[in-house]
Amino acid sequence: MSNKLTRYEKIEFLGEGQFATVYKARDVETDNIVAVKKIKMGSRQEAQDGINRTALREIKLLQELHHRNVIGLLDVFGHMSNVSLVFDFMDTDLEVIIKDNTIILTTGNIKAYIIQTLQGLDYLHRNWVLHRDLKPNNLLVNSNGVLKIGDFGLAKLYGSPNRINTHQVVTRWYRCPELLFGAKLYSTGVDMWAVGCILAELLLRVPLFPGESDLDQLTKIFAVFGNPTEENWPGLKSLSDYVEFKPFTPIPLKNIFTAAGDDLLDVLEGLLVLNPLKRFECSKCLAMPFFSNKPAPTPGSKLPLPQNIRKTEVERPTLKRKLLDAVEGGSLSKRLFF
Amino acid sequence: MAGNFWQSSHHQQWLLDKQDLIRERQHDLQLLTEEEYQKIFIFFASVIQTLGEQLKLRQQVIATATVYFKRFYAKNSLKCIDPLLLAPTCIFLASKVEEFGVISNSRLITTCQTVIKNKFSYAYSQEFPYRTNHILECEFYLLENLDCCLIVYQPYRPLLQLVQDMGQEDQLLTLAWRIVNDSLRTDVCLLYPPYQIAIGCLQIACVILQKDHKAWFAELNVDIERIQEIARYVINLFELWKTYDEKKEIQGLLNKMPKPKPAPQR
Repeated sequence: MSNKLTRYEKIEFLGEGQFATVYKARDVETDNIVAVKKIKMGSRQEAQDGINRTALREIKLLQELHHRNVIGLLDVFGHMSNVSLVFDFMDTDLEVIIKDNTIILTTGNIKAYIIQTLQGLDYLHRNWVLHRDLKPNNLLVNSNGVLKIGDFGLAKLYGSPNRINTHQVVTRWYRCPELLFGAKLYSTGVDMWAVGCILAELLLRVPLFPGESDLDQLTKIFAVFGNPTEENWPGLKSLSDYVEFKPFTPIPLKNIFTAAGDDLLDVLEGLLVLNPLKRFECSKCLAMPFFSNKPAPTPGSKLPLPQNIRKTEVERPTLKRKLLDAVEGGSLSKRLFF
Repeated sequence: MAGNFWQSSHHQQWLLDKQDLIRERQHDLQLLTEEEYQKIFIFFASVIQTLGEQLKLRQQVIATATVYFKRFYAKNSLKCIDPLLLAPTCIFLASKVEEFGVISNSRLITTCQTVIKNKFSYAYSQEFPYRTNHILECEFYLLENLDCCLIVYQPYRPLLQLVQDMGQEDQLLTLAWRIVNDSLRTDVCLLYPPYQIAIGCLQIACVILQKDHKAWFAELNVDIERIQEIARYVINLFELWKTYDEKKEIQGLLNKMPKPKPAPQR
């Protein structure tokens, strides 16, 4: 174990979250670049609880999950409550890409990101795992344009009948109506709604429903889709936090996503269904015409990435990269306006 | 991971080979006979079960803790960590993994103290010697030795399905369920997949209740020889119990057990 503490050589600080600090590091045994997530020690009271529960969730689930579009857990080291997790290194994430206004997201680019998200999520759902915190920030992208779903700190096994879950999950802007109404029995629909919000955000480049409170969140949702009723969502009114909203007239999605094709609007409409039982599952989405229609999804190596990621590659081009560039005539994708 | 046992770490890493198990235990078996070794594990399975019941944990959590305990010593000698410390540590970790409410470390220690004093005084004349810090230190060591494989499949769920498929009543399920609990006192959870253990235990239950389900068993697509092996492990346990008086023997066995070098302070 002691050799593990020196196995990962810190390169730079990457970021800090509520529960952890993340560093970029070099694995001196393999020379691979990895991300080391050091779980914060927290208060003395928390230290009494031993290994952090968020970290344990990630360990227990990721140890069992292996998919190209799911972040890989490479190693775990530490001592007592002081735990570090070692992950695949990912250069950026969808939040950075969405906010970077020098990047143009074509339909092909968006298709590529959403396909990868759905494929990773389909694998999770097939293995009875709910992610429960999908948002652009947790969809990690590496320099090869491979997207991996990350941060399993809220993820949970589902499918046990009658098992009560907390509804305080999912970052508010990506939270589905049933969670906002306090549902304690829920399923894959919570992740599907979030994917719908992410797809919308890839198109709009701003969050679709940036609610300022839980009630404001529902207001923003109903302002687009109209109010749900017992007819289109049976059982709605028995949800614990259900409240009546003033009536809204639905707005056609076409008016919001003026540049999107009909096939893409169909996907959005399948994902953003108020009634969770009518919301589309991953496999049903992936079978929709949008994903097989033209344009084809952009190949990973041609997906646009933020400048700083390019720059570091230009500074230290590997032989393989040089060869690839020579063959493909540069890695910049064509500028197609969406 | 209710979905995919076949690709789980349980199936791929933690179904051990009998020969490997014997080899790993070589060191401990120089000091203890195989039967004595098993008696020690029967005792600690009871300690875990009693602690779990006292803490009002579900059987699923207790079973997972027991499997952690057995997996740890499948790769380590008893002298690596005092099993009296590892047992509550397994409960501590399992309750977090199974997400059925947290047990605070201090409540765990208090429960250990009462349980050892009130229920196992025939084995330990002194009070429970460990504190919070020992558990915390031990927890990470346990996690490492489990290779971070925390999700354990148990025979309970397949058992429910099988009994339902038989169209059987509660009496059979209750007995088979208890035999599955008993099977945690043998090595079967280290050697066989849970669905086979469920079938093996169900078979014993049918024999005990004199229910003839030969036709139903004949239609199962399983390696019946493996099922017989599991049944034999459990029947051997029942045989052992007939003549074994734990209250008389266990103190001697615990004294004989290989121990960690520095005894805990305080």
